[in-house]
Amino acid sequence: MSVSNLLQNWSTFRHEHPINDKPHAEIKWAMTIDLDTCIGCNACSVACYAENNLPVVGKEKYAHGQSMHWIRIERYWGETEVKEEYDPNSNFDMVQQDFQADQGAQFLPMLCQQCEAAPCETVCPVGATNHTEDGLNSQIYNRCIGSRYCSANCPFKVRYFNWWNYPEQENAWPEPLPLQLNPDLTVRTKGVMEKCTFCKQRTYTARNNARSEGRPVHDGDVQTACQQSCPTNAISFGNLVDPEARVAKQWEQQQVDLAKEKQEKDEKADNKLRGYRILEELRPYPSIMYLERVRESAV
Amino acid sequence: MHRFLRLSILLVGMFFAVGSYATDTAPPITTEDDLGPQVEQPIEFPHNRHAGLHDPADDADPSKPAKGGMEINCMYCHTYARRSMVAGIPPLRKCIGCHQSIESVKETPRIKKLFEYWEAKKAIPWKKVHDLPDFVRFNHERHVQRFVFQQNRPVQEACGYCHGDIKTMTVARRQKPLTMGWCASCHQKDHLVSASSSETSHGPNDCFTCHK
Repeated sequence: MSVSNLLQNWSTFRHEHPINDKPHAEIKWAMTIDLDTCIGCNACSVACYAENNLPVVGKEKYAHGQSMHWIRIERYWGETEVKEEYDPNSNFDMVQQDFQADQGAQFLPMLCQQCEAAPCETVCPVGATNHTEDGLNSQIYNRCIGSRYCSANCPFKVRYFNWWNYPEQENAWPEPLPLQLNPDLTVRTKGVMEKCTFCKQRTYTARNNARSEGRPVHDGDVQTACQQSCPTNAISFGNLVDPEARVAKQWEQQQVDLAKEKQEKDEKADNKLRGYRILEELRPYPSIMYLERVRESAV
Repeated sequence: MHRFLRLSILLVGMFFAVGSYATDTAPPITTEDDLGPQVEQPIEFPHNRHAGLHDPADDADPSKPAKGGMEINCMYCHTYARRSMVAGIPPLRKCIGCHQSIESVKETPRIKKLFEYWEAKKAIPWKKVHDLPDFVRFNHERHVQRFVFQQNRPVQEACGYCHGDIKTMTVARRQKPLTMGWCASCHQKDHLVSASSSETSHGPNDCFTCHK
C-alpha cells in the first residue's frame, strides 16, 4: 500500500467509531453465554486448548500468571456488598463478607469479547491487532512485536502473552499430544500476544463452503469449539446480522443493542430481562452478551 | 543564524524528498533472477511435456520423439485445486492411470522409476516448491473458482498468476515472489466478478483472512 493510494482512498481506509461506521454488511459474529445454564465444568476451556493449539504451561508458570487459556471460568462467591459505613482504611477483605456458599459459586466464562471499539486495537504500535469486516478483533501473530500494550489496555484481561517458546517446553504438549495440533492455525512463537479468535479457522471454513455453494452463511453452519463442547448449551454463536440466527434472536429478545453503551431497558425500573454485557459503560461495545443467572433469592 | 536555518531546511527537505521517492517507487516485483531455489525432485517431472503447448512439427513424423507438449489441463492432475484450500499432490495412481497404457515411453528411465515406486507401493516423496510460511492461509479453491470458472480465463493463465509459466518448465520452480506485498498488489486491483458482467470487486484486505 503506497502512500499515494492511502491518501487517495482515505475514506475507505479510515475506520470511524463503530456508531458512525458503516454497518456490518453480511456478517457480524457474536455470542451469547447463558450463565443460568453454565455449570462451570471447564469443558469449553479444554476444547479451546485442543482446537487452538494452546500450550499447557504447568503449575509453576501458572502461578506466575503465564497461563494461556483463551477461555477461562471465573468463579464468584456471592455479591460484594459495600457497607454504608465503608472505611477506606480498613482491610478490604472485611468488606467482602457476603459469601453465599449454600448457593454455590457463580461461574462466568471469560473470553475475548471481540469489542467493536476495542481498546487493544488503538494502542498497538505496529497495527498487529485490528478489526475485520466480519466484526472480529484479529491478532496477527507474525506482525506482533510483543509490546504487551494491548494486554495492559484490555479491560477484560483476555490477552495472553507467549513468555516462552512453548513447543520447546517440556510439558506444553507431552507425547503424543503434538499429533493433535490443529494444522489450520499456527503454533505461536515466543514473544507474541494471542487471544480468542472466535475459532477463526472454523468461521473461515464455513464462509468458504457457503460461498462455494453460492449461498449466505446459515445459522448452525459454524460452531465454536467452546460452544460445541458445552454440555448444557450455554453458549450460542452466530451471525448477529442474520435475523434468523439464534444469537440475533436472543439479542433482540433481551433488547441489547450492539452499538449502544447504555441499553434503554436498563433505565426502566421493572426491567426483568437478563441480558447484559460486561463493562458496557467503558464503551468497548463487546460482542458477547451474558444472560444473568436467575438466583434463588430473586425467585 | 540564517545559515543554520538554511541547512536544516535543506536537510528536512531532502529527507522528505527521498522518503516520498522511496515510498512511491517500490522495487520491481518480478525480476529475471528472482526465481525460487532449484528443488531436486525424486523424479524429474517434465511439466512442459504434459502441459506444454502442442508443436505442429510433431505431427509430420509421429515416429520421432515429440518436442511439444500435450496441453493437459492443470486441473486434470492437480484436481483438488478447485475443490479445496490446498491443491495437493496428485497420487501415484494418477500417473499410472495413463502411463500403464503408454507403451512408447515405458522403457525410459523416468517411467521405469515411476513403476518402481508403483510396484513397491510407495508414494513418490515430491518436495514442495511453492512453500508459504505456516502463518499464511492461501485458498486455491477461491482463486480457481473466481478466475477459471467465473471469469472463464484459461486455466494455465489463472494458475500462472502465482505459479508462473509452468508449462515451459520441467521441474517446477518458483517464479513469483509470493510475498505479502505481491499478493496485495493483485488484491487491490479491480477484478471482474464474472465473465458476463461488468461489475468488479477486489480481493479481501483483512489481515485475518490470510494470516492465521
